[in-house]
Amino acid sequence: MNEPTGFGLVSVVTFLPLLGAIALMLLPKEFPNTHRYGALLISILTFGVSMVLYQRFDATTYHFQMTEFIPWIPQFGIHYRVGVDGLSIWLVMLTTFLSIISIWFSFYVSHRVKEYMVLLLVLETAMLGVFVSMDMILFYTFFEASLIPMYFLIAIWGGERRSYAANKFFIYTFAGSIFMLIGMIWMSGQYAGITGERSFAIADIQNLVAGGTFWSTAMHLQPLLFWAFTIAFLIKTPAFPFHTWLPDAHVEAPTAGSVILAGVLLKMGTYGFLRFVLPFFPDAVQKEAGKVVALAVIGILYGAIVAAMQTDVKKLIAYSSVAHMGFVLFGIFTLNHTGLVGASYQQLAHGISTGALFLMIGLLYERTHTRKFSDYGGLKAQMPVYSALFLIVMLSSVGLPGTNGFIGEFMALLGGFDTAAKGLYGIPFAYVVLAGAGVIFAAVYLLWMFQKVFYGPITNPDLKRLKDLKRWEVAMCGLLIVFVFWGGLHPNTFLKPMEPSIAAIRMMALNPEGDRPSWTNLETEIDRKGNLVQVTPRERAGDAWETVNVVVPANFYPESESEEPIIPRLTGEGVEPH
Amino acid sequence: MGNFELIWWVLALPVIGFLIQSLLGQRIVGLFGQTYGKKVAGTLAVLPIAAAFVLGAGLTLTLMDMPATSRSVVMTLFDWITVYSISIPFEVVIDPLSMTMVLVVTGIGSLIHLYATGYMAEERDYTRFFTYLNLFIAAMLILVLGNNLAMMFIGWEGVGLCSYLLIGFWYKDLANAKAANKAFITNRVGDWGFMLGMFAIVAFLGTNADRFPAGDGRYLSFDRMLPVLASLLSENPGIATLIALLLFVGAMGKSAQFPLYNWLPDAMAGPTPVSALIHAATMVTAGVVMVNRMHVVFEFSPVASGVVAVVGTFTALFAALIAFGQTDIKKVLAYSTVSQLGYMFVACGVGAYWAGMFHVVTHAFFKALLFLGSGAVIHAMSHEQDMRWYGNLRKYIPITTATMTVGWLAIIGVPYLFAGFYSKEAIIAAALGNHHATFLGGSTEFTGWLLLVGAALTTAYMTRMTLLTFGGAQGRWQQPETYEAAHADHHAHADHGHRAHAHHHGHAHDDPHGFFYTDEELARREALEPHEHHHHLTPDYKPKEVPVSMWVPLAVLALLSTGGTAYFMEHHHAFQHWLYPPFGGEHGTGLTMIKGHPVIDPEAISGHPHGMLGNKMALVGLSVAVMLIGLAYAWAVYGKRLPDKEGFDMSRWAKFRLWAMNQFGYDAFILKLLVYEGGKTVGNACAALDQKLVDGIVNLTGAVAQGLGGLARQAQTGYVRGYALVMLMGGVALLVYLVSALSGGAR
Amino acid sequence: MTGNNLADYLTLGLIMFSIGAVGVIVRRNPIVIFMCIELMLNAVNLTFLAFARFTPTSAALADRAESFMSGQMMVVFVMAVAAAEVAVGLGIIMAIYRLRNEIDIDEMNLLKG
Repeated sequence: MNEPTGFGLVSVVTFLPLLGAIALMLLPKEFPNTHRYGALLISILTFGVSMVLYQRFDATTYHFQMTEFIPWIPQFGIHYRVGVDGLSIWLVMLTTFLSIISIWFSFYVSHRVKEYMVLLLVLETAMLGVFVSMDMILFYTFFEASLIPMYFLIAIWGGERRSYAANKFFIYTFAGSIFMLIGMIWMSGQYAGITGERSFAIADIQNLVAGGTFWSTAMHLQPLLFWAFTIAFLIKTPAFPFHTWLPDAHVEAPTAGSVILAGVLLKMGTYGFLRFVLPFFPDAVQKEAGKVVALAVIGILYGAIVAAMQTDVKKLIAYSSVAHMGFVLFGIFTLNHTGLVGASYQQLAHGISTGALFLMIGLLYERTHTRKFSDYGGLKAQMPVYSALFLIVMLSSVGLPGTNGFIGEFMALLGGFDTAAKGLYGIPFAYVVLAGAGVIFAAVYLLWMFQKVFYGPITNPDLKRLKDLKRWEVAMCGLLIVFVFWGGLHPNTFLKPMEPSIAAIRMMALNPEGDRPSWTNLETEIDRKGNLVQVTPRERAGDAWETVNVVVPANFYPESESEEPIIPRLTGEGVEPH
Repeated sequence: MGNFELIWWVLALPVIGFLIQSLLGQRIVGLFGQTYGKKVAGTLAVLPIAAAFVLGAGLTLTLMDMPATSRSVVMTLFDWITVYSISIPFEVVIDPLSMTMVLVVTGIGSLIHLYATGYMAEERDYTRFFTYLNLFIAAMLILVLGNNLAMMFIGWEGVGLCSYLLIGFWYKDLANAKAANKAFITNRVGDWGFMLGMFAIVAFLGTNADRFPAGDGRYLSFDRMLPVLASLLSENPGIATLIALLLFVGAMGKSAQFPLYNWLPDAMAGPTPVSALIHAATMVTAGVVMVNRMHVVFEFSPVASGVVAVVGTFTALFAALIAFGQTDIKKVLAYSTVSQLGYMFVACGVGAYWAGMFHVVTHAFFKALLFLGSGAVIHAMSHEQDMRWYGNLRKYIPITTATMTVGWLAIIGVPYLFAGFYSKEAIIAAALGNHHATFLGGSTEFTGWLLLVGAALTTAYMTRMTLLTFGGAQGRWQQPETYEAAHADHHAHADHGHRAHAHHHGHAHDDPHGFFYTDEELARREALEPHEHHHHLTPDYKPKEVPVSMWVPLAVLALLSTGGTAYFMEHHHAFQHWLYPPFGGEHGTGLTMIKGHPVIDPEAISGHPHGMLGNKMALVGLSVAVMLIGLAYAWAVYGKRLPDKEGFDMSRWAKFRLWAMNQFGYDAFILKLLVYEGGKTVGNACAALDQKLVDGIVNLTGAVAQGLGGLARQAQTGYVRGYALVMLMGGVALLVYLVSALSGGAR
Repeated sequence: MTGNNLADYLTLGLIMFSIGAVGVIVRRNPIVIFMCIELMLNAVNLTFLAFARFTPTSAALADRAESFMSGQMMVVFVMAVAAAEVAVGLGIIMAIYRLRNEIDIDEMNLLKG
């Protein structure tokens, strides 16, 4: 794993947008259409390459694939290590896909087009970098680098309070990740203390954690480090009470910025939980899960209630993001396989549906330049196609079965119920009941918004002039809606490739020391039933493997640990099923 | 076996219809012109449903030919959600229960579609209506055919969506939109319970995964889940109660049981065919279907069953009382539906699941008939829905009068001749003879007696409605002074005035993207817009009989509502044994597997007879007696002294009726508690908390940092020489320190 | 004045540096400030040269140029830097003069926090 490999496909996907941005920078700004079509072309190209990446992706392994290693700062064990696994492959795809949409929409931008397009492309590279990094410092670099273009997008093309929102967004998320940086440095120091050589590689450190040696001398520090990472990701996610930067940023950001922000940037937080927190801090995770789930549940309800009180469409959707990301957080920290897979799926679903909501609001805003409910009403008669598309997207956000929004929430809650019913990880039953009530509130505020904007008579005479969507706008929304239904009717397309990785991450957090899977040990795999198995030695990740024996059998429905579980294990003596 | 593949066509046809209506509907209307285009589009909407009915009937016949032990066929289309821990395929089950519902849904569905082609003929958004209606049929079929709870949930929320869309069909009136929201959100409360019930089942079965075939995580599939539940729950009635009650919360929402009933009356804001199809015949019975499907769970929990029975009884009586206070003909029928659904749940609660289904079927016939009839009345009366302006309509619309009379006789349960009698009788008999459900430790026999009271109430309010509409010597709209007076304030609200206010900015917009209509285009659009007339009755108005497309469905449904069909269903327990074959069960457990699908003989499995009232003739006598009491009351009050009692002056209304009209204050209380006051207070508190406290802390942190910076900036004078001086002093200080340190170090 | 004593050169350097430093701090005309900076630089140059001249060279280091030439080399560097600095500084002053029509240093307080 430590042999220099040179650049490969993952790097191409990651840096193609940056190269495109450099190329655009060299072109004079007097030709905005060149920049528009150029940026669109580059983003489509990037999506195409990411499709090749997906084509070559092996869904049977939990290991990193198509890894690249290029020495960077060897003195500190910091290297350019990239690769994808089941967790990141979909986020890479989501990023490249949403980038096309946001660049396409940004054809409406007419102020400083060149800079806008360049920033969007730079942002794409930064986001992709976050998801493919296998080195903590590289991850941190991209994590922070993504702030800069977004900062400028808000600060230059934003609304009235853009500088306040941009500063808050930047400083808040930046301040949070400082703790994470300190944590990373400590982790690498601990690694050096044990092995004698420095490394910032995620897989290296996780390998020691899996073996149990990493924390053996520093068990008392584990909760501290857990919270250092967790705070950073809670802010990014954002979870209650660290969410207040989000509504401000969303309201002020230009549409493309909102789409990217909701669609991808928030996922960096939840991705961080899965990539760092669960594998690195197994003991703390089990002990502290209840607290994080409490925050998630508060976020679900609180986000929904505050959303219901908004008078600004974008602010409402921003608060709905708090609630929806609460489900992701909830699913992750129930530490149940169904819940974890559901949470990972909900990341994608939220990216599509909330991205689409912001996009559609953006389409309207381009026409009317207002986001206040009071300026709308009766649009359904005026713009039937728009309202039909908006309805579909809204229902996906409500979580209607058959749309992608349902699958993630359903699975996260299902997993949560199982965990809570057995009294595991300090998650009381009430949490699940309350989180479930979140689906009611989602209907409340979204239907209310729909009623305010689309139903009733047209009271604002300016709306009478509005034409329905143009063809290319319908096509753009249609692209997203395809995924709304695809994700809702055949979620297996998305669930299958991510599942081994998720199962491995769960085992990293829950299995006892020594029995945890490791990202460096290529002789373990997750088989098709979810067992951790020993396999025939392979040359490298991605090669085919055969099971030798089962190391740890899958245990998706663990037995209860609490005194009086709600759902105990039974062995019925009735009729046997045939 | 092969022809069971046809079930996919039953599902696909409404979907195809939906796609045609939604994607091509407008074009079809545009291609053939308004009149013929609508006819073509309407035909294209009816045909798929009718074809699905024919296919469904064929499949049902095939199923009937099979031996009772193999009447369950599971068909899988594809894997929907498959993860290591659980597997939920997209699968359907063809068995007596699902096929019964398929026939009801597609049969009554196609009749109502046909009716709607006439009823909605003048509607501008004609194809949008059929888009929703076809989608509803598709969702409802998924609900009844789905072989697992998650698929049922797709349909469950799908029909909720269609209901939402159709209640808000005339969205320009905000009241309709609000009614739609209320329906969806109240249903979501139920769905929440349904989901938790599903989760409880998975959590429970997950720990017993060894009872499943290896590698099969189909915990939610009926053919896997129910046998295991049947064998496990007997040991743990507590879990049975938990699951049953959670599922029943779902049923309460969808089937409008107290306390979640109050969306249904508001749902009457939708077009009348919708009220007939969704809010009377099919969707609202989904809860009963679900309880039948999951009866194994209820069977093991007498406590939950008791709750079901008592909630059903309370709802039946409560809604019947409210119905007395209603003046809107559709509202009367809505509360009647709520009340009748209560009857069905009593049947399920006391273990006579088949009787609940029996009532679903007969109720679907006569309630669809009544609703469609009321639609015909409304159609004839120029969209006036207030019964106080009806009267003597039998003179003008004889076909409607005749068919609706059949519906009226069916719902009040005229013995042997009409359908309602058979199913209602079965329910009351089961409730009186019940030994299954318990309530607060006691028997629930009292539900049967209360249902008899409910029957008297039903007779009374339905007779009231019939008399007010068709009875009387003269139509009350023909009495101009009263009519005009009552509508005086109504006129002020009519939306005639709006258009005048809508002045437009004449200035040319700066419109580089082509977002807006030009002034000419705008003028053309406005010219095309139909001028919406606010109809109201004039004294010389002559109600006209409805067109043939509308009265044919009425006639068919009237035929179905007569005793013939119900007699054949009831005769020799035909319907009961079609749904619940009397096997007695293997090993005396009462559980019989039909190809992996458990069918339980309720009496055998719970070890005690559920019972039926022994002396059936006595019950018939009682029923006739309460019916006569109801009839006598209604005749006395509304037949004889009608204008006095049902006066047009609100102050002369009996206090009780006013109270009943307002749902005894329940709806207002709930709205106040959850929306207008409680909800607003909590919402405002949270929003303020977010602004002041949560964000306040963030901004405070920023402010503190700024304050500290402010202190530091005092030192920054901006004069370079100041900086130079400080630098110099620093340099000197450093030097002094170094010299002293070095010299000290040397010593 | 023996002219042969290291301390004398250093004293002169110190006096020149102090005059220059005080001048930089108290004068308001940037031209004069520049002159004072030149004075300070030259004081440093003088110190460099004095040390270079009076540092005894050991036999072992005699071959190596830096042992006795480094002071002189530094002076050359300082003079080059001083020339560059004056060029840039005068350029800035010219620019400011064009912008504001005066070059009083007290008026230039944009750095004020």
